[in-house]
Amino acid sequence: MRTRIFRGSFASVTALFSAMLLWAVLSLIFMPRWDEVLQSALSDEMLYSIRLSLLTSLISVAIVMVLAVCIGYVLARFSFPGHHVLRTLVDLPMAFPELVLGLCLLLLFGHGVLSQWLKGLGINIVFSQAAIVIAQVFTAAPYAIRVSYATFRGINPRYELVARSLGYCEFSAFWHVTLPMAKGGLFAAMVISFARCMGCFGTVLILAGGTRMFTETLPITLYLNISYGNLAMAMTSGIILIAISLGAILVFELLNREVML
Amino acid sequence: MKCLLRGEGITIRLSDFHLDNVSMEIHEGDYCCILGETGAGKSVLLESFIGMYPRMKGRIFLRDRDITRLPPEKRELGIVYQDYMLFPHLNVFDNIAFGLRKKRLAREEIRGRVHSMAERLGISHILERDVQTLSGGEKQRTAISRALVARPQVLLMDEAFSALDATTREKMRSFIRDLVRELGTTVVHVTHDVDDVWALANKVVVMFDGKVLQAGPPEDVFARPLPGRVAKFLGACNVFSATVGHFSEGELTPLSAGKGAIGLLSTDKACPGESVIVSVRPESIILAPHPLDLSARNQVRGQILKTEKRGPMTWVHGKTEAGPMKAILTDSALEALELAPGSEAFFIFKANCLRILGRKAPVQKPGADGAKL
Repeated sequence: MRTRIFRGSFASVTALFSAMLLWAVLSLIFMPRWDEVLQSALSDEMLYSIRLSLLTSLISVAIVMVLAVCIGYVLARFSFPGHHVLRTLVDLPMAFPELVLGLCLLLLFGHGVLSQWLKGLGINIVFSQAAIVIAQVFTAAPYAIRVSYATFRGINPRYELVARSLGYCEFSAFWHVTLPMAKGGLFAAMVISFARCMGCFGTVLILAGGTRMFTETLPITLYLNISYGNLAMAMTSGIILIAISLGAILVFELLNREVML
Repeated sequence: MKCLLRGEGITIRLSDFHLDNVSMEIHEGDYCCILGETGAGKSVLLESFIGMYPRMKGRIFLRDRDITRLPPEKRELGIVYQDYMLFPHLNVFDNIAFGLRKKRLAREEIRGRVHSMAERLGISHILERDVQTLSGGEKQRTAISRALVARPQVLLMDEAFSALDATTREKMRSFIRDLVRELGTTVVHVTHDVDDVWALANKVVVMFDGKVLQAGPPEDVFARPLPGRVAKFLGACNVFSATVGHFSEGELTPLSAGKGAIGLLSTDKACPGESVIVSVRPESIILAPHPLDLSARNQVRGQILKTEKRGPMTWVHGKTEAGPMKAILTDSALEALELAPGSEAFFIFKANCLRILGRKAPVQKPGADGAKL
């Protein structure tokens, strides 16, 4: 009897939450009229927003993966004073609301030594399209680093030692042994990063601004159109965001399965 | 024989363990087993040779060349682990060819060397297989091929047979014995299995708590294990306290053993009046229901307490005035002798089987300076 109550209550909570989640997603898909969605999707603003989102996300994912591989490997393999501090530091942005992270980046790139130095070189980050990439990188990197760290930790360092005993230097052993062995985890980090970059809103809004047809990524399109009361455009950008994220996950999963086989 | 690999005062401090001032020498053609319980520091010592601990203290020489500060890729040592460490993204061929590719050899040469080694190890038929589909024995052969094909000066093996089942382990022992003899490979093999030592080694190093306690040819170490932990670990039983009696030059050493001050004789020498630890291996004892007219000089009266069947042999536990004793008999011998628990029996052994392990106290051990082979 107790077992039945235990199992029943857990299953009910799971079913209730799953139903609510599915309902919310289906509302977005079935509420708008499809001719309006098509018209919105083909509008100049939406096409610009899709292009900018994909371009900045791909650039950001490339940067994030370089960071994740380097930092994840350092954390997994090297022991040094301040190891725990570094781990906490790279995890920190995950605990921040995106708006706060955006504010921190605005202060870093908009006021102070770094911004003065960049301005001296003729580079102005704040409210530019480059700011979108920076915002996305800082938002997505902690997730990718965490996955990459766990992946490298899971690979016995003795594989590298064996490779080194066979004549490979430290970097070659990493390149020929550790990196191929980590491909599954790194693919997962890539998927998570891409999803985070595509959906990055608060940080982009604060650092890059929400300028129409300039720094307008898909989440910004959704926000701007909700503000103007243009519900069709807002819902279309939502649907596209979901479709792109789902598509990315599917493609990466397929690729990953192929690579793992 | 030339000294090939030499460690001097190797000291490694890890968070929960330290290797303490270990020195040892391996000569060309040696098969040296490092024996000890789990956590004795055997693997740490082995990995210090290959360069896993760059911050270690002490020095390592390969053919008199100091390799202490060299990275692992410059040391010319090969390693094989218990869990094989085969690269899962490469097939068997590519795993074996891995080291050769780094040497930038011609493709045909790599192919030839891999096939020749695979043939020697009996794995030619699995070269295209994914390593994750191999059996334990096949994985181990692949790992050994990968290490040997690169022609290391010394092959280091860390518990290389521990993950194998008993039958495969026995096959691998015989196979490795023939292979290293054929190739003339020098091997350092970490193990906790005394059978590996008997089957393979011409030298053995016994380690406990990060220190070398005893080293030498297996026959010597097993015949005269240091009293205490080494003797216990090496399976020494029938260990008694004894006092050395007076004897003249050329005579056997008389001993008065146990509470009953039983008179025994040994071919080992000691000083008269000295308190010593003596031992006789159970397989060296003959059991009989009455004294026998044999050349064996020690015949100790006792009583059978129990018999214990272990595989094809039976261990007979008894008590004598020298102390508790154990002997090993075949089942048929036990049956023929009609020795049952409670019956009287004589434990009979030769003087050269009674070994003086050392002075009773204080126990001396060569660990701090490192036992040299």
